[in-house]
Amino acid sequence: MKRGYAVIKVKEETILYQNDAFRKDDVRERILLNDDTELWISGEDERYEDAMKLLDEARQENQAKETFLSNMSHDIRTPMNAIIGLTSLAKNHIDEKARVADSLNKIEVASGHLLSLINEVLDMSRINSGRLTINEEHFWLSDLLHEVLTVIKPQMEEKHHHLIFRTGDILYESLYGDTLRLRQIFVNIINNSVKYTNENGEILVSFGQEMQDERCYLCFRCQDNGIGMSEDFLKKIFDPFERANSTTISRIEGTGLGMSIVKKLIETLDGTIEISSVLNEGTCVDIRIPLRYEKAKVDIQALKGRNILILENDPEIRQKIAQYLKDDDIAYKETASFSEAISLLTDDEFRGEKTDVLLLGEIGEATGDLFDVASYLHKAHPEMTIVLVGDQDWNDIEYRANRSGIEHFVPLPLFRKSLINGIAAALSEHDQGPASTGLDLSGKRILLVEDNFINREIAKEILFATNVTIDVAENGQEALDRYLSGTHYDAILMDVQMPVMNGYEASRAIRSSGKDDAATIKIFAMTANTFAEDIAKAKEAGMDSHIAKPIDIHKLMQALRTI
Amino acid sequence: MQEYQLRYIENTKEIAALLDVSKGEDSETEKIRRLAAKEKIDALKKENVDLLNRHLFTCLDELHAASPDTIRELEEFADVLMDWKSNLDCGIYLLIHESLLTLYRFRRDRNNTIKELYKVGMGMYYRSRSVQGITSNLTNSLYFEGEMMFSEAASYLKYFAEIDDDETKGYIIRSLANTAICVRDLKKKVEIGLRVLQIIQDPFYQQLAPNLPWDVFLQRTHQQMSSNRAIMSRGNLSADELAAVLESCEYVFEPEAHKGDPNVRWLWPYYEMEYSCGFVDIDTTLDRMERLILEADEHSFELSDMYAKCQLPIYYGTLLRRNEKLRNRPKRMRFLKEAYDRMLGVIMDYPLEKDIEYFSYLTVLIITDYYETEGVPSYLEITSKLLRKLSGISYLNSLKAMKITVYLCDILLKEDPSFFDDIPFIAEETDPEKKKELLFRYGETCALYCDFGLLKMNMERLTHTRNLLDKEYEIYQLHTVSGHDDLAARESTKIYADCAYGHHAWYSGSGGYPEGYVRSESPYRQMTAVIALVAYLVENYEHGMDLRELVDTEKRRFSPLLIALMMDEEHLKAVQTLLEQ
Repeated sequence: MKRGYAVIKVKEETILYQNDAFRKDDVRERILLNDDTELWISGEDERYEDAMKLLDEARQENQAKETFLSNMSHDIRTPMNAIIGLTSLAKNHIDEKARVADSLNKIEVASGHLLSLINEVLDMSRINSGRLTINEEHFWLSDLLHEVLTVIKPQMEEKHHHLIFRTGDILYESLYGDTLRLRQIFVNIINNSVKYTNENGEILVSFGQEMQDERCYLCFRCQDNGIGMSEDFLKKIFDPFERANSTTISRIEGTGLGMSIVKKLIETLDGTIEISSVLNEGTCVDIRIPLRYEKAKVDIQALKGRNILILENDPEIRQKIAQYLKDDDIAYKETASFSEAISLLTDDEFRGEKTDVLLLGEIGEATGDLFDVASYLHKAHPEMTIVLVGDQDWNDIEYRANRSGIEHFVPLPLFRKSLINGIAAALSEHDQGPASTGLDLSGKRILLVEDNFINREIAKEILFATNVTIDVAENGQEALDRYLSGTHYDAILMDVQMPVMNGYEASRAIRSSGKDDAATIKIFAMTANTFAEDIAKAKEAGMDSHIAKPIDIHKLMQALRTI
Repeated sequence: MQEYQLRYIENTKEIAALLDVSKGEDSETEKIRRLAAKEKIDALKKENVDLLNRHLFTCLDELHAASPDTIRELEEFADVLMDWKSNLDCGIYLLIHESLLTLYRFRRDRNNTIKELYKVGMGMYYRSRSVQGITSNLTNSLYFEGEMMFSEAASYLKYFAEIDDDETKGYIIRSLANTAICVRDLKKKVEIGLRVLQIIQDPFYQQLAPNLPWDVFLQRTHQQMSSNRAIMSRGNLSADELAAVLESCEYVFEPEAHKGDPNVRWLWPYYEMEYSCGFVDIDTTLDRMERLILEADEHSFELSDMYAKCQLPIYYGTLLRRNEKLRNRPKRMRFLKEAYDRMLGVIMDYPLEKDIEYFSYLTVLIITDYYETEGVPSYLEITSKLLRKLSGISYLNSLKAMKITVYLCDILLKEDPSFFDDIPFIAEETDPEKKKELLFRYGETCALYCDFGLLKMNMERLTHTRNLLDKEYEIYQLHTVSGHDDLAARESTKIYADCAYGHHAWYSGSGGYPEGYVRSESPYRQMTAVIALVAYLVENYEHGMDLRELVDTEKRRFSPLLIALMMDEEHLKAVQTLLEQ
């Protein structure tokens, strides 16, 4: 008969742990473990060491679970306390918008943290029960890396870390794999570096590819100058529920499951992970994962015969852009300074040549920012497509970028596919109109309200290039009549000073007309009057924004981009 | 020029004159005179706004259809409003030239485009000068816009031989040189200067345009290069760049410095250059400076004497502030105190009619660089005197604001004695009477200092001449940041800084400016809320107005508590009486 073991809490006779063979009616031996706990052994007599070993395992497993529960209860309570406390704080100060906004922001962070804790616990449970599945799908390496960067950047910035992002040899940009899991692995590792590195640290992240046995390995490295790990801890790094303790940084929150999950995921993907670390010096993680690939072609037809100007102060990036263009025989000029760019564009202007695309990157030590540069160049060369090449978050800057005349964005790190496709997409949008205004308003209808014949003709000439349908009214009353006649307009370009009815009155009448789109139709004031008070007056009259006269392409396109 | 243009120029000059004469000490007679001047100024401003609305904006609206004569008259009008010597109305100058630039670009008229790029660049440079010393994205953009204009005009240099008229060639060369004045990076300034010196001394270009004033270009470029002298010892200039700055300094200062009776305005820069290059040590430099300050004629208000008595003490203070060793020398600190005391006296006695432009420049210098330290007059003392002397008719509003602030503080304190206790020094005072007195004085000073930043931006004349253009209004808003930064940097004024910063921000945080003001983080927020309301009332109330309606219309901007207080009939009447005084 197999021996059975059970750990019994004596007074209440509660079973804390037992193996399958334990029979309470057949207890042969009782070993006192501490004041109120005993080990009860049942069944046939076997080696005592076996029993002790089992007991030890049981204790360890129990200990880890207790630690996990204790950690989890703290880790869940911390953000939950924050959410409850901040909600109450916000309610108490409901009339103070700034304070409520601040509380909501903090609640958002705490909720996000809580969600990630829950996700990790669920992941671990899935892995342990063998329910983890891998979904292989096609993806572009550039997309994956940009997603990873987008996720980790806010945390990096919060701790003021300096991120050095490098790409080594990229052999194949078109790959197959489980992007969800790959992203999870890379984000987890980088997040650890962010967490375990004191503020203003340096984190190097690099991606490259290697061929081995006809397989393409994606090689990832994340190296930091953080608190590092002791040799002892390094041995247990992949054990579930283990976390580094540190007195040098504030308490780190997390489940302690992250590295364990990462290891299991990498193993499932047939990859390897190696970690080296020195206490108080930093940690380096190397990951290699084999991926299926294909030799995908990027369509460069749209770029053939085009002239491209690269304005990029960073020599490494400038060289890389130039190399990609050169490889595909695409004509380009390059410069590091905006004044040289202006000079090159003047050259073209003087010779009657045309620069089709400006790739705008870092502008170096200029006083203004790149939006000032874009806006200026767009004003001077409205026919040129401006594509921003940068490491910004496009969502954050899109509005300002569009207002400055930037039509497309190519994110860094730079890949051939994203560069060529980015330029092609920008050109394709830009080329929709016959005079290359960069804006296609086909299918849209605009009401142009202007009493001056020449101004009308100029506005029509500019608008013609956008393929928009234009109706004309010569004063505010006529504009109102046309609007009320039932024709649907997407926007109204409204002169302000006009006979019969001025622009303010007409706008007010349109807004209060009760027509379905009366509140939403865009009305742009067109006037040379730029008194701040009158601009405010135009807004009060219901106009959305203001286009300064005399009209030029840049100003008009800036406004029409918003419809 | 057209009738409206002449009228606008005349009105603007008259407003400037009225503003200038209404500055000075605030005696009762002066107050009456100021009130009369204010009425006249308000009427002229109204007429100016009307002239621009009816004529200029209409003309610019239809610029594409304008005749060559109309365009010529516009150019003449703009160029009277601003040139190198005077800045009557830089904003309208800029508006006209920006419109002309748009027109010429549209017409693809190259030579006129180059001319307008230069003129717009000049306008942008002058506009950005109103915010010098203030660091923000907006100020950077203002400088950068000018730099880009000049850069584009200068980029036509390579077609110098193909351009057929000297006027356009002149604009190209001037633009090339002026690129440096809009650049804030000092090394880049020197790089540009070096390139300009090379070009204007190159016979190739000189032969292509022999009628251009190449010697004037050379003199001006050397002057511009020599203004970089202060960075020689701390910049990262290459040997060639250092040599070029040195050469320019010698070119500009040496002939002046070695005259029999050299002008201190040339002599000091020469000494400064010698110090920056390491030819003489700091002690010799300070000794020289002390001598120049002491030698100035005590009773003279001539430019060179003012330079020695007022500007040099500020530079002296800056050197001491930057150097701890010097600060530990009692002899130097004693001299600083004497020089500052003397400067204060000179400022108070200075007759503003002599040269108000210079006095305004001096004010900016003092506000920016005054070194407040033990033993010298406090920043509060010196700036309150400047405020009283310079704000002229605006001071009338300040007086009203001070009285209304005290009235509101009194009521708030009666209703809740701990209302202002977030302010540490108010909370510390336990005697109720003393506390009240302390609070009233604090409130008065906050009311006086809330627009402190405007003093440095020199926008008073503009705000009285016409309505602000949208870009100017954006610049105007910087007075909150500028005022805050200068007040917060000095011990004697730091308690007024938050009020200057947040008095245009809405109580709820949902509007107003600046964006950086967070009410809940400021211990001075209660007083700031009071000043916000008071400043609004004083600015917008006109004789005979319905005050309840004025308050009610914009109530969302202010503290609900203060609005409730104001709606009380008794308080409303009392405040209205103060506004009508």
